Amino acid sequence: MLNIIACFKWVIDHEDIKINPETHELVLDRAGYRISDYDRFAIEEAVALTEQYGGSTTAVTVGLPAAKKSLKDALARGPEKAIFINDPAFHNLEPSQTAAILAQSISNQEYDLIICGEGSGDLYAQQVGPRLAEHLNIPCASFVRKITIEGRELIAERRVDEGIEVISMPLPALVTVLPEINSPRVPGLKDTLSAAKKPVVEITASDLGQTFASCLETVEIKATTMERNCEKFGAEKDELKRFIDVLCRAGVVD
Amino acid sequence: MAGVWVFAENYDYCLELLQIGRSLADKTGVQLTAFACGDKGIGQQYIYYGADQVFILPPLAEDQPLGTYVPAIVEAARQEDPDIILCAATLRGKEIAARVAAGLNTGLCSECIALAINSDNKLEMKRVIYGGAAMQTLTCKTRPQMATIPPHTFTPVTELDDTRSGIIKEIGPISSTPVKVLAKKPRAKESGDITRSRVLVCVGRGVEKEGDLKLAGDLAETLGGDLACTRPIAEELHWMPQETYIGLSGQKVKPELYIGLGISGQIQHTTGIRDARVICSINKDEDAPIFKISDYGIVGDLYEVVPFLSQELARLKKK
Ligand SMILES: Cc1cc2nc3c(=O)[nH]c(=O)nc-3n(C[C@H](O)[C@H](O)[C@H](O)COP(=O)(O)OP(=O)(O)OC[C@H]3O[C@@H](n4cnc5c(N)ncnc54)[C@H](O)[C@@H]3O)c2cc1C
Ligand SMILES: Nc1ncnc2c1ncn2[C@@H]1O[C@H](COP(=O)(O)O)[C@@H](O)[C@H]1O
Repeated sequence: MLNIIACFKWVIDHEDIKINPETHELVLDRAGYRISDYDRFAIEEAVALTEQYGGSTTAVTVGLPAAKKSLKDALARGPEKAIFINDPAFHNLEPSQTAAILAQSISNQEYDLIICGEGSGDLYAQQVGPRLAEHLNIPCASFVRKITIEGRELIAERRVDEGIEVISMPLPALVTVLPEINSPRVPGLKDTLSAAKKPVVEITASDLGQTFASCLETVEIKATTMERNCEKFGAEKDELKRFIDVLCRAGVVD
Repeated sequence: MAGVWVFAENYDYCLELLQIGRSLADKTGVQLTAFACGDKGIGQQYIYYGADQVFILPPLAEDQPLGTYVPAIVEAARQEDPDIILCAATLRGKEIAARVAAGLNTGLCSECIALAINSDNKLEMKRVIYGGAAMQTLTCKTRPQMATIPPHTFTPVTELDDTRSGIIKEIGPISSTPVKVLAKKPRAKESGDITRSRVLVCVGRGVEKEGDLKLAGDLAETLGGDLACTRPIAEELHWMPQETYIGLSGQKVKPELYIGLGISGQIQHTTGIRDARVICSINKDEDAPIFKISDYGIVGDLYEVVPFLSQELARLKKK
């Protein structure tokens, strides 16, 4: 039986990010939110492992109270329950704070395995997983593309720069997973309906009994711009010939 | 000894960090220390290449992963209180840096692409966020100030001065970790290095099946270029090797010509082609975001457009 914790983040939908053309500041106030793409693989892996080996999955997120909207979506993906750690002060948390808050909230839970995404959709810092493992003093493996459990040992295939490293570690442990590890199921209507009935444990900053100071300071955030010609061509033969002509004149085709 | 510390799992990346590390150390008037994994000879080289001090980490047993060094690095930093630690952002390097930062309760700027010392003598670091849509500038309020640096961000030091001397200090012994390496499977060198290609034909999900990659391959060949892809083609469909996908979590490329076939143009992909000289795209959806960042875009079905382009280019070449 495996007790698995899957960590997910509720992030701004990057397709909704607008840019103020004069100041190059980001305009985020109208943007929608979604479960961070790569965290769907973390949730799926947790659920698939408990289906295979028995046990249960708890989905955990840290965020602003508004992130409550994420819980139904997360639970529809298969976890039995959720832990929602929220506070109005949890605004723009950096990885060191998120990891410390998760560690504090999880430390009295029973778990065999914690699964994180490879990186969050907005910050993509790829820190929260390994930092959390360090706080909890459990072994960790990141960029994992395959997991098997043998008794109290976890065997993982992880990506390293030269290829693949197969490692083993005793449970409890933490892994961060790559998208290639599985294909997340798409929740159906039934899953969404049953999600509404699943238990959610709420934890607020005051329950944690300490504050979590930031280490980093943001000096500036500016949009990156990419100015290009933006000339469009049709698919007719003469248009395609004109296209080739343009490339020749640009000196990129010889 | 305080100062700037650098850690990289391989020699070439360490020379890149020594370059930027030396300049930061000189600007702030401190010493530069490099970690060498398991080899005194390499440590001596790092001194010739600009380090003032080298920490030699003990060699690892066959079944011990690189992360075994984390407690030793944390302990050394606790004792000596460095100002800055830079770590090469290899896959293992990113994990190690995050764990060291947690151990030291300090901030870490992941995949930092530009570094400067500001007027307060603090490190000012830049990184991309929101998939590449924005650049964030950060400072670190805690010590040490930490950053991971993607390979090839800085050019390696080339000037070797074998009259330089420095302190060589052995660290250890280190205790073994419960994480055991059971096997290593080096990847077959299937593909060239797309970061050096002059022309890149890049395929996306608009390509319907693996066999159709040949269409793109033919175009690449006619243009004397190489094939690249978006992340889902490599990671989800496994049609092409991992090291041929472009973007935020893949390769950053700078070809003279990039042609994207059936690619929507999500920011996480296009952030990797920012430095291409000419960007072209073929997409049947005229509103595809890729057109907004293309120099020349063809609105059409790649299955009709690409064969014609290959044929026409081949004809021109013969002339
Ligand atoms: C944190 C994070 C990091 C990421 N890192 C990367 C990264 O490094 N690299 C990367 O590539 N992605 C990355 N992604 C994924 C990225 O967001 C996109 O999902 C991905 O790039 C989309 O790939 P695509 O354009 O091939 O596919 P799609 O978005 O599915 O686009 C397919 C396009 O093909 C067009 N098309 C279909 N049929 C035809 C036809 N017959 N002829 C012409 N056009 C056709 C369609 O109109 C569509 O625009 C990352 C995502 C996240 C969240
Ligand atoms: N606010 C959060 N709540 C829960 N899990 C998180 C949160 N932020 C990050 N994570 C987890 O940590 C991973 C890495 O995040 P990051 O370090 O921000 O790239 C994500 O894929 C999630 O699994």
